[in-house]
Amino acid sequence: MTRAQQTISIALLLSSLYLACFLGVVPFSPKIQNEIVPVLPFWALVTFGSYLLFKLGYGVFTFNDVPEAHKELMAEISLARADLQKKGVDVGND
Amino acid sequence: MLDRLVGLTMLIAASTVFLYYSIWTLFMPFVDEDHPLHTLFPPRVWAIRIPVILILLFSTVVGSFVSVVMIRSNRRKALKAKAQKSQ
Repeated sequence: MTRAQQTISIALLLSSLYLACFLGVVPFSPKIQNEIVPVLPFWALVTFGSYLLFKLGYGVFTFNDVPEAHKELMAEISLARADLQKKGVDVGND
Repeated sequence: MLDRLVGLTMLIAASTVFLYYSIWTLFMPFVDEDHPLHTLFPPRVWAIRIPVILILLFSTVVGSFVSVVMIRSNRRKALKAKAQKSQ
């Protein structure tokens, strides 16, 4: 099972569960049905967005500088550019 | 130093948004109308409107960016094809 199939099947499962709640198939108290259930997808979206932002911020916060890797990467980039330019690829200017 | 600050800002922003929005949408319906807590939150319609507006804005920006890049690359390709034909 590929990752895409996995993601789609989980998404379908959650969507069908939510649809059942939204259409009143699952009995809830009227307050929950009218005020909480319609808001759930937006809440899920906001939660997902803030989770991603949190993960990003945490990664940026805890990332330490790596000067040797930087030097190595710059050297590799200039090598690649020289090589590609020789073969006629348009590598642009820095 | 600066990137640490940026990361910390993102962390705090994400946590604040999550907490505020969760309390707003999931908790406030169960709080009585005359409780002073309601003064901290706008009317709940906005809890739906703001994400919708942001989604539309975001897709507009992304869509425009993608279209500009595609148009520019097509123009460059057409120019190159014309230059090759005239050679």
